[in-house]
Amino acid sequence: MAILNAATKEIQLKVVYYGPAMCGKTTNLVQVHKRVQTAPGNKGRLVSLATNSDRTLFFDFLPIEAKTIKGFKTKFQLYTVPGQVIYNATRQLVLRGVDGVVFVADSQYSKMAENVESFQNLEDNLRTVNLNLADIPYVLQYNKRDLDGVAPVEYMEFLLNSREVQVPSFSATAHDCTGVFETLNAISRALLTKFINQGTPQYTA
Amino acid sequence: MTTTLPPLNETDINGMDSALGEFLKQTDATTALVIDKGGFMITHKGDARRFDLTTIAALASGAYMANETIANLVHETKFTSVYQQGENQSMFVNCIDEHCLMVVIFASRLSVGAIKYFAAPTAEKIADQLRSAQERDPEAGFDLSALNVADTESLFRKRA
Repeated sequence: MAILNAATKEIQLKVVYYGPAMCGKTTNLVQVHKRVQTAPGNKGRLVSLATNSDRTLFFDFLPIEAKTIKGFKTKFQLYTVPGQVIYNATRQLVLRGVDGVVFVADSQYSKMAENVESFQNLEDNLRTVNLNLADIPYVLQYNKRDLDGVAPVEYMEFLLNSREVQVPSFSATAHDCTGVFETLNAISRALLTKFINQGTPQYTA
Repeated sequence: MTTTLPPLNETDINGMDSALGEFLKQTDATTALVIDKGGFMITHKGDARRFDLTTIAALASGAYMANETIANLVHETKFTSVYQQGENQSMFVNCIDEHCLMVVIFASRLSVGAIKYFAAPTAEKIADQLRSAQERDPEAGFDLSALNVADTESLFRKRA
Protein backbone atom coordinates (compact mmCIF):
# COMPACT_ATOMS: atom_id res chain seq x y z
CA MET A 1 0.00 0.00 0.00
CA ALA A 2 1.40 3.35 -0.95
CA ILE A 3 2.20 5.74 1.83
CA LEU A 4 1.36 9.37 1.34
CA ASN A 5 2.98 11.60 3.90
CA ALA A 6 1.78 15.14 3.44
CA ALA A 7 3.88 16.36 6.35
CA THR A 8 7.14 15.45 4.64
CA LYS A 9 5.67 15.63 1.11
CA GLU A 10 6.66 12.08 0.31
CA ILE A 11 5.02 9.32 -1.66
CA GLN A 12 6.36 5.82 -1.02
CA LEU A 13 5.50 3.03 -3.41
CA LYS A 14 6.30 -0.67 -3.37
CA VAL A 15 7.13 -2.58 -6.55
CA VAL A 16 7.61 -6.35 -6.52
CA TYR A 17 9.49 -8.24 -9.23
CA TYR A 18 7.77 -11.61 -9.57
CA GLY A 19 8.46 -14.62 -11.79
CA PRO A 20 9.72 -18.19 -11.92
CA ALA A 21 13.04 -19.33 -10.47
CA MET A 22 16.16 -18.07 -12.22
CA CYS A 23 14.26 -15.77 -14.59
CA GLY A 24 16.37 -12.71 -13.73
CA LYS A 25 14.46 -10.83 -11.02
CA THR A 26 17.52 -10.25 -8.85
CA THR A 27 19.57 -9.35 -11.94
CA ASN A 28 17.09 -6.55 -12.68
CA LEU A 29 17.66 -5.04 -9.23
CA VAL A 30 21.42 -5.49 -9.45
CA GLN A 31 21.45 -3.59 -12.77
CA VAL A 32 19.24 -0.80 -11.46
CA HIS A 33 21.47 -0.46 -8.43
CA LYS A 34 24.62 -0.45 -10.54
CA ARG A 35 23.52 1.87 -13.31
CA VAL A 36 20.88 4.27 -12.09
CA GLN A 37 21.69 7.97 -12.21
CA THR A 38 20.70 9.48 -8.90
CA ALA A 39 21.54 12.40 -6.73
CA PRO A 40 23.85 11.50 -3.85
CA GLY A 41 21.92 9.77 -1.10
CA ASN A 42 18.93 8.91 -3.27
CA LYS A 43 19.93 5.29 -3.76
CA GLY A 44 19.94 2.90 -0.83
CA ARG A 45 21.90 -0.26 -0.51
CA LEU A 46 20.82 -3.41 -2.29
CA VAL A 47 20.03 -5.98 0.36
CA SER A 48 19.84 -9.62 -0.66
CA LEU A 49 18.62 -12.31 1.65
CA ALA A 50 20.01 -15.23 -0.31
CA THR A 51 21.10 -18.82 0.20
CA ASN A 52 24.74 -19.93 0.02
CA SER A 53 24.25 -20.57 -3.66
CA ASP A 54 22.98 -17.02 -4.25
CA ARG A 55 19.36 -18.07 -4.74
CA THR A 56 16.94 -15.61 -3.19
CA LEU A 57 15.74 -16.96 0.14
CA PHE A 58 13.43 -14.20 1.38
CA PHE A 59 13.70 -11.15 -0.85
CA ASP A 60 16.04 -8.60 -2.40
CA PHE A 61 15.37 -5.02 -1.49
CA LEU A 62 16.43 -1.76 -3.12
CA PRO A 63 15.11 1.62 -1.95
CA ILE A 64 15.49 4.32 -4.55
CA GLU A 65 14.28 7.89 -4.82
CA ALA A 66 13.12 9.27 -8.15
CA LYS A 67 13.19 12.92 -9.05
CA THR A 68 10.97 15.25 -7.08
CA ILE A 69 7.71 16.01 -8.85
CA LYS A 70 6.22 19.38 -7.95
CA GLY A 71 7.73 19.27 -4.50
CA PHE A 72 6.74 15.66 -3.76
CA LYS A 73 9.55 13.21 -3.19
CA THR A 74 8.71 9.92 -4.88
CA LYS A 75 10.38 6.98 -3.19
CA PHE A 76 10.21 3.51 -4.66
CA GLN A 77 11.01 0.33 -2.82
CA LEU A 78 11.89 -2.49 -5.20
CA TYR A 79 11.55 -6.06 -3.97
CA THR A 80 12.02 -9.44 -5.56
CA VAL A 81 10.42 -12.67 -4.41
CA PRO A 82 12.12 -16.06 -4.28
CA GLY A 83 11.16 -17.90 -7.45
CA GLN A 84 11.53 -21.44 -6.22
CA VAL A 85 8.20 -23.19 -5.74
CA ILE A 86 8.89 -24.18 -2.12
CA TYR A 87 9.07 -20.55 -0.95
CA ASN A 88 5.42 -19.72 -1.53
CA ALA A 89 4.78 -18.52 2.03
CA THR A 90 7.63 -16.06 1.62
CA ARG A 91 6.23 -14.76 -1.66
CA GLN A 92 2.93 -14.05 0.07
CA LEU A 93 4.72 -12.03 2.75
CA VAL A 94 6.60 -9.92 0.23
CA LEU A 95 3.38 -9.14 -1.65
CA ARG A 96 1.87 -7.50 1.42
CA GLY A 97 1.28 -3.82 0.65
CA VAL A 98 2.42 -4.13 -2.97
CA ASP A 99 1.51 -1.23 -5.26
CA GLY A 100 2.80 -2.52 -8.59
CA VAL A 101 4.25 -5.70 -10.06
CA VAL A 102 6.87 -6.45 -12.69
CA PHE A 103 6.36 -9.99 -13.91
CA VAL A 104 9.67 -11.26 -15.26
CA ALA A 105 9.25 -14.18 -17.65
CA ASP A 106 12.03 -16.42 -18.91
CA SER A 107 11.95 -16.38 -22.72
CA GLN A 108 13.32 -19.91 -23.21
CA TYR A 109 10.80 -22.31 -24.70
CA SER A 110 11.59 -24.82 -22.00
CA LYS A 111 10.46 -22.33 -19.33
CA MET A 112 7.02 -21.50 -20.70
CA ALA A 113 5.16 -23.85 -18.37
CA GLU A 114 7.00 -22.35 -15.38
CA ASN A 115 6.13 -18.83 -16.56
CA VAL A 116 2.45 -19.65 -16.77
CA GLU A 117 2.49 -21.46 -13.43
CA SER A 118 4.26 -18.53 -11.76
CA PHE A 119 1.78 -16.03 -13.24
CA GLN A 120 -1.08 -18.10 -11.90
CA ASN A 121 0.70 -18.27 -8.55
CA LEU A 122 0.98 -14.46 -8.55
CA GLU A 123 -2.77 -14.13 -8.97
CA ASP A 124 -3.43 -16.68 -6.24
CA ASN A 125 -1.01 -15.05 -3.81
CA LEU A 126 -2.39 -11.57 -4.44
CA ARG A 127 -5.79 -12.88 -3.41
CA THR A 128 -4.31 -14.00 -0.08
CA VAL A 129 -3.45 -10.36 0.65
CA ASN A 130 -6.85 -9.12 -0.53
CA LEU A 131 -5.64 -7.82 -3.87
CA ASN A 132 -6.68 -8.54 -7.40
CA LEU A 133 -4.24 -8.41 -10.29
CA ALA A 134 -6.81 -6.55 -12.37
CA ASP A 135 -6.73 -3.70 -9.84
CA ILE A 136 -3.02 -3.10 -9.58
CA PRO A 137 -0.62 -1.82 -12.20
CA TYR A 138 1.71 -4.42 -13.63
CA VAL A 139 4.02 -4.81 -16.59
CA LEU A 140 5.64 -7.82 -18.23
CA GLN A 141 9.28 -8.31 -19.02
CA TYR A 142 10.38 -11.06 -21.41
CA ASN A 143 13.92 -11.66 -20.24
CA LYS A 144 16.88 -13.61 -21.64
CA ARG A 145 16.18 -12.61 -25.22
CA ASP A 146 19.88 -13.12 -26.03
CA LEU A 147 19.73 -16.89 -25.51
CA ASP A 148 19.22 -19.52 -28.18
CA GLY A 149 15.88 -21.29 -28.18
CA VAL A 150 13.71 -18.41 -27.06
CA ALA A 151 10.02 -18.25 -27.83
CA PRO A 152 8.76 -15.47 -30.13
CA VAL A 153 7.47 -12.42 -28.29
CA GLU A 154 4.08 -12.92 -29.95
CA TYR A 155 3.80 -16.36 -28.40
CA MET A 156 4.70 -15.01 -24.96
CA GLU A 157 2.15 -12.26 -25.41
CA PHE A 158 -0.43 -14.92 -26.22
CA LEU A 159 0.47 -16.89 -23.10
CA LEU A 160 0.83 -14.05 -20.59
CA ASN A 161 -0.77 -10.93 -22.02
CA SER A 162 -4.00 -11.96 -23.66
CA ARG A 163 -6.39 -10.66 -21.05
CA GLU A 164 -9.09 -8.14 -21.67
CA VAL A 165 -6.72 -5.30 -20.88
CA GLN A 166 -3.23 -5.76 -22.27
CA VAL A 167 -0.37 -4.37 -20.23
CA PRO A 168 2.96 -2.98 -21.45
CA SER A 169 5.56 -5.65 -22.14
CA PHE A 170 9.30 -5.34 -22.70
CA SER A 171 11.95 -7.57 -24.22
CA ALA A 172 15.02 -7.64 -22.05
CA THR A 173 18.46 -9.04 -21.48
CA ALA A 174 18.80 -8.09 -17.86
CA HIS A 175 22.42 -9.14 -17.42
CA ASP A 176 23.53 -6.39 -19.83
CA CYS A 177 20.76 -4.02 -18.67
CA THR A 178 18.81 -4.10 -21.93
CA GLY A 179 15.15 -3.39 -21.17
CA VAL A 180 15.70 -3.04 -17.42
CA PHE A 181 15.14 0.70 -17.17
CA GLU A 182 12.36 0.67 -19.76
CA THR A 183 10.53 -1.82 -17.54
CA LEU A 184 11.17 0.13 -14.35
CA ASN A 185 10.08 3.43 -15.87
CA ALA A 186 6.90 1.85 -17.25
CA ILE A 187 5.79 0.46 -13.89
CA SER A 188 6.76 3.68 -12.10
CA ARG A 189 4.73 5.77 -14.54
CA ALA A 190 1.76 3.43 -14.31
CA LEU A 191 1.87 3.60 -10.53
CA LEU A 192 2.09 7.36 -10.35
CA THR A 193 -0.67 7.77 -12.91
CA LYS A 194 -2.95 5.58 -10.85
CA PHE A 195 -1.93 7.21 -7.60
CA ILE A 196 -2.36 10.76 -8.84
CA ASN A 197 -5.71 10.03 -10.45
CA GLN A 198 -6.98 8.48 -7.24
CA GLY A 199 -5.39 11.02 -4.92
CA THR A 200 -5.09 8.39 -2.23
CA PRO A 201 -4.50 4.67 -1.98
CA GLN A 202 -7.77 2.90 -2.50
CA TYR A 203 -7.20 -0.73 -1.68
CA THR A 204 -10.04 -1.88 0.50
CA ALA A 205 -11.10 -5.26 1.61
CA MET B 1 -12.24 -2.70 7.35
CA THR B 2 -9.63 -0.94 5.28
CA THR B 3 -6.43 -2.65 4.32
CA THR B 4 -4.47 0.50 3.93
CA LEU B 5 -3.19 3.41 5.92
CA PRO B 6 -5.03 6.69 5.65
CA PRO B 7 -3.12 9.64 4.14
CA LEU B 8 -1.12 11.18 6.96
CA ASN B 9 -0.87 14.90 7.63
CA GLU B 10 1.38 16.97 9.86
CA THR B 11 -0.85 16.52 12.93
CA ASP B 12 -0.63 12.75 12.58
CA ILE B 13 3.14 12.73 12.20
CA ASN B 14 3.59 15.21 15.07
CA GLY B 15 1.35 13.08 17.28
CA MET B 16 3.36 9.95 16.54
CA ASP B 17 6.68 11.78 16.93
CA SER B 18 5.59 13.11 20.30
CA ALA B 19 4.67 9.61 21.52
CA LEU B 20 7.99 8.21 20.29
CA GLY B 21 9.93 11.11 21.85
CA GLU B 22 8.32 10.50 25.22
CA PHE B 23 9.07 6.80 24.92
CA LEU B 24 12.76 7.50 24.23
CA LYS B 25 12.92 9.73 27.31
CA GLN B 26 11.31 7.06 29.48
CA THR B 27 13.51 4.21 28.32
CA ASP B 28 16.76 5.76 27.12
CA ALA B 29 16.41 3.68 23.94
CA THR B 30 18.48 4.80 20.95
CA THR B 31 15.94 4.99 18.14
CA ALA B 32 12.24 4.30 17.70
CA LEU B 33 10.39 3.96 14.41
CA VAL B 34 6.84 3.56 13.24
CA ILE B 35 6.74 1.40 10.12
CA ASP B 36 3.98 -0.22 8.14
CA LYS B 37 3.77 -3.97 7.76
CA GLY B 38 4.55 -3.65 4.05
CA GLY B 39 8.02 -2.35 4.95
CA PHE B 40 7.76 1.44 4.66
CA MET B 41 9.09 3.74 7.33
CA ILE B 42 6.46 6.24 8.46
CA THR B 43 8.35 8.25 11.05
CA HIS B 44 11.19 7.94 13.53
CA LYS B 45 12.76 9.62 16.54
CA GLY B 46 16.21 9.35 18.05
CA ASP B 47 19.55 8.61 16.46
CA ALA B 48 19.11 8.18 12.73
CA ARG B 49 22.69 8.76 11.65
CA ARG B 50 24.14 5.46 12.80
CA PHE B 51 21.55 3.24 11.17
CA ASP B 52 20.10 2.69 7.71
CA LEU B 53 16.51 3.07 8.89
CA THR B 54 14.91 2.51 5.47
CA THR B 55 16.50 -0.92 5.21
CA ILE B 56 15.84 -1.70 8.87
CA ALA B 57 12.14 -0.92 8.30
CA ALA B 58 11.96 -3.31 5.33
CA LEU B 59 13.78 -6.11 7.13
CA ALA B 60 12.02 -5.67 10.47
CA SER B 61 8.61 -5.85 8.84
CA GLY B 62 9.69 -8.96 6.92
CA ALA B 63 10.97 -10.56 10.11
CA TYR B 64 7.82 -9.68 12.03
CA MET B 65 5.54 -10.95 9.26
CA ALA B 66 7.53 -14.17 9.01
CA ASN B 67 7.08 -14.64 12.76
CA GLU B 68 3.36 -13.99 12.41
CA THR B 69 3.18 -16.81 9.88
CA ILE B 70 5.12 -19.06 12.25
CA ALA B 71 2.62 -18.15 14.98
CA ASN B 72 -0.18 -19.44 12.79
CA LEU B 73 1.73 -22.67 12.25
CA VAL B 74 1.91 -23.25 16.00
CA HIS B 75 -1.78 -22.40 16.34
CA GLU B 76 -1.30 -18.92 17.76
CA THR B 77 -3.26 -16.04 16.28
CA LYS B 78 -0.13 -13.93 16.28
CA PHE B 79 3.04 -13.15 18.18
CA THR B 80 2.48 -9.55 19.23
CA SER B 81 6.16 -8.72 19.52
CA VAL B 82 9.58 -9.88 18.41
CA TYR B 83 12.76 -9.36 20.43
CA GLN B 84 16.26 -9.73 18.99
CA GLN B 85 19.05 -9.65 21.52
CA GLY B 86 22.52 -8.50 20.47
CA GLU B 87 25.78 -7.92 22.28
CA ASN B 88 25.67 -4.15 22.00
CA GLN B 89 22.36 -3.28 20.37
CA SER B 90 19.05 -5.07 20.61
CA MET B 91 15.80 -4.64 18.76
CA PHE B 92 12.20 -4.93 19.84
CA VAL B 93 9.30 -4.92 17.39
CA ASN B 94 5.81 -4.41 18.72
CA CYS B 95 2.49 -4.55 16.89
CA ILE B 96 0.60 -1.21 16.85
CA ASP B 97 -2.47 -2.15 14.83
CA GLU B 98 -3.41 -4.12 11.74
CA HIS B 99 -1.17 -1.93 9.55
CA CYS B 100 1.71 -0.71 11.64
CA LEU B 101 4.59 -1.78 13.83
CA MET B 102 6.81 0.01 16.31
CA VAL B 103 10.52 -0.80 16.10
CA VAL B 104 12.86 0.06 18.97
CA ILE B 105 16.65 -0.08 18.78
CA PHE B 106 18.24 0.05 22.19
CA ALA B 107 21.51 -0.64 23.98
CA SER B 108 21.60 -4.25 25.15
CA ARG B 109 22.54 -3.15 28.69
CA LEU B 110 19.01 -1.68 29.03
CA SER B 111 16.27 -3.82 30.46
CA VAL B 112 14.04 -5.32 27.81
CA GLY B 113 11.31 -5.44 30.44
CA ALA B 114 11.29 -1.65 30.65
CA ILE B 115 11.25 -1.36 26.86
CA LYS B 116 8.25 -3.69 26.69
CA TYR B 117 6.52 -1.94 29.59
CA PHE B 118 6.74 1.53 28.05
CA ALA B 119 6.26 0.35 24.46
CA ALA B 120 2.72 -0.88 25.14
CA PRO B 121 1.17 2.53 26.03
CA THR B 122 3.25 4.22 23.31
CA ALA B 123 1.85 1.83 20.72
CA GLU B 124 -1.64 2.61 22.05
CA LYS B 125 -1.11 6.36 21.59
CA ILE B 126 0.14 5.82 18.04
CA ALA B 127 -2.80 3.54 17.29
CA ASP B 128 -5.14 6.29 18.53
CA GLN B 129 -3.46 8.80 16.25
CA LEU B 130 -3.81 6.46 13.27
CA ARG B 131 -7.43 5.81 14.19
CA SER B 132 -8.20 9.51 14.25
CA ALA B 133 -6.49 9.89 10.85
CA GLN B 134 -8.72 7.13 9.52
CA GLU B 135 -11.84 8.64 11.05
CA ARG B 136 -11.06 12.15 9.80
CA ASP B 137 -12.48 11.18 6.45
CA PRO B 138 -11.77 7.67 5.28
CA GLU B 139 -12.63 8.58 1.70
CA ALA B 140 -10.65 11.82 1.56
CA GLY B 141 -7.49 12.09 -0.47
CA PHE B 142 -5.04 14.86 -1.03
CA ASP B 143 -5.31 17.00 -4.09
CA LEU B 144 -2.43 15.74 -6.16
CA SER B 145 -3.60 17.29 -9.39
CA ALA B 146 -0.59 19.60 -9.33
CA LEU B 147 1.56 16.56 -9.96
CA ASN B 148 1.83 16.09 -13.67
CA VAL B 149 2.34 12.56 -14.92
CA ALA B 150 3.78 13.98 -18.13
CA ASP B 151 6.73 15.04 -15.98
CA THR B 152 7.39 11.43 -15.15
CA GLU B 153 8.42 10.34 -18.64
CA SER B 154 11.79 9.09 -17.39
CA LEU B 155 11.78 8.81 -13.67
CA PHE B 156 14.92 6.72 -13.70
CA ARG B 157 17.83 7.20 -16.08
CA LYS B 158 20.60 4.78 -16.85
CA ARG B 159 24.17 5.97 -16.50
CA ALA B 160 26.00 6.02 -19.81
